[in-house]
Amino acid sequence: MKDYKLEVRVTLICFIIVAIIGGFFSSFVVILNQRFFDVVPTPEALVQFYGETMFVFKQNLAVMGFPLHYFLLIMFSWIGVTVVGAIWCIIMDRLEERQRA
Amino acid sequence: MEPRGEVFVLGLVLSIIVLVISILISIWARRFTRSIGDYYVAGRSIGAVNNGLAMVSLALSLTTFIGLTALIIEGLYIAVAVYASFTASFIGLMILAAPYLRRHKSFTTMAFISERYGSKTLRYMSVVVMLIVSVLYLAGNLKGIGIVFYFLLGVPEIVGIVVGGLVVTLYVTLGGMYGVTYNQTFQSIVLIFCLMFPVAIVLRALGTAGWYFPPLGYGDMVPQMVATVPHYFLPMLEHPITYIAIFLGSFFGIIGLPHFVMRFFTVRDAKEARWSTVLCVFLVGLVNTTVYATGFAAVYYMNTAGVSIPAAAYDYMVFILVDALAGDGWLALAVAGSVAAGLSTVAGLLMIMGAGLIHDVYGELKPEVDDEKKLKLSYLAMFVVGILVILFSLNPPEFILKAIMWAFGIAAAGLGVPIVLGIWWKRTTKQGVAVGMVVGTLIGFLGWIMIDYMGMNPVNIPFPIFARYLYGPLGWIKVTVLAVTFSFILTVVVSWFTPEPSIELKRQVDEMHGWKDYDEKRYNSKILPVVIVALSLFLLFFMTWEPEPGTFPRMEGQEWTAE
Repeated sequence: MKDYKLEVRVTLICFIIVAIIGGFFSSFVVILNQRFFDVVPTPEALVQFYGETMFVFKQNLAVMGFPLHYFLLIMFSWIGVTVVGAIWCIIMDRLEERQRA
Repeated sequence: MEPRGEVFVLGLVLSIIVLVISILISIWARRFTRSIGDYYVAGRSIGAVNNGLAMVSLALSLTTFIGLTALIIEGLYIAVAVYASFTASFIGLMILAAPYLRRHKSFTTMAFISERYGSKTLRYMSVVVMLIVSVLYLAGNLKGIGIVFYFLLGVPEIVGIVVGGLVVTLYVTLGGMYGVTYNQTFQSIVLIFCLMFPVAIVLRALGTAGWYFPPLGYGDMVPQMVATVPHYFLPMLEHPITYIAIFLGSFFGIIGLPHFVMRFFTVRDAKEARWSTVLCVFLVGLVNTTVYATGFAAVYYMNTAGVSIPAAAYDYMVFILVDALAGDGWLALAVAGSVAAGLSTVAGLLMIMGAGLIHDVYGELKPEVDDEKKLKLSYLAMFVVGILVILFSLNPPEFILKAIMWAFGIAAAGLGVPIVLGIWWKRTTKQGVAVGMVVGTLIGFLGWIMIDYMGMNPVNIPFPIFARYLYGPLGWIKVTVLAVTFSFILTVVVSWFTPEPSIELKRQVDEMHGWKDYDEKRYNSKILPVVIVALSLFLLFFMTWEPEPGTFPRMEGQEWTAE
């Protein structure tokens, strides 16, 4: 059961990470910015086309020129998930060797 | 949209070269096909690199090449979110399904569902769902090939659909899975180069500093873009449930898309299945981030150069952009790449449709027929399916991405849920899967059936609290939340109240996970079904949440507007 638990736990953790950084991240940007950045979206706060005050995006918060949330989304959903996937593969390769033994 | 004007000889020549090489590869690969196993799953002999590249070409269909750019012009940030989810979903597919499916030794998704749950009825039901999903996906891609031909030659899209469809039918019929795999590997390499280089030249023409690496090469132009299109990078365009729908559609849709799953039945073992997916996600990410750059360039170009493109012509934008900013040589490359992208995906879909009809339907109805006859019938079936799909595709949907995202939602609810639960929860029963599959698939169609087909007024349809998820802006994505959550809830609840499956069926779960012995406690916890139902109910509750006025202005403004 030890190996079984390892498989399930590692799979669960990796799936949650991949789901968050790949799939849900953009949604979290929407939900969390109101909660943690203490910005209440009101019509007065809106500039044309849902202005910056509602968002995590701040003008000086940029990486390689991109708004931070955009940069994180595209990098997490590409390099981030590739790394998580590779780590999961290495662990499963080892588990498979133990199962064979 | 008017065609380019004159016949584009260079693009035509490169496209013909791609088509001819594809047919030659199939003729060469035919020598490897000696049995029905060779024809459908390439003798389970494909390595990780080959399979990874083949998966890349399946993933990077014309949806990516031309559809995503069109979606970015329309949806800006949300289009990037769609594809971020799509990129990451390959790792979801690997973690939840890929190596386990390979160990199961089935030929197709439908065979897996049938054998895992011990039900022939489920096999036929899943074949029906597979046909719906594949036809939607195929129609979008064949339309894309039509778009390329129209732009190149000025001939109606129908000509491209017929010519492209016939070529791909020919090489799939000839080469079987070996031919499809080697072709997809070749087409992957072609389309990666044919996208990256023209986009780099376009970025250079726009004046970006990092043009030589398109995925991250346009950061220095962000201030100009924000000055021109202030909301380009702003995420809050939709109710958060839309992003969650995208996640569910991508992650479970890709597990349900039978032509992706079929690739895992072709590899040597579970380890190759895992590593091929890692290679695939890296390359798919590279191309998708390049297409984000294309979308950025397209929006910037339209808004700064004073170019007016009608919405119906957004699918042509990649070619318009490369034509205007890069020149004929690069446009020819982009055209050849898009032809390769369309062919590879269509080939994978034809393969699964042929396999589904001959292996899963005819093989079940006539088990006494030997493999040699089935192989001969497979060649015939593949050809007939190709012709039928061409005929169906003559009246494709307006935007190719819409059809394909719709296919994702239906695949997620109809096939993805049974596969995931079949791998991770022994207690899942055939009755639960049947109910979840039927209801999930029907919900995927609900908006279309009630509003487009039956002509019902959106405000009068039953359960009005959910009505906005069936129709209106991005309704074809949002309905995925309803379809997937209902499919999960019904499958789990009905399974719980129906007789437990036999030991033989449950033993398959342990075997799929690589265990030599059987342990009743493995993959049989009550926590998983409870968590799945609780999360699904939470999402349904979240869908009923009414945001404060002004929070999601786009939703309020366009709630009942037809797309």
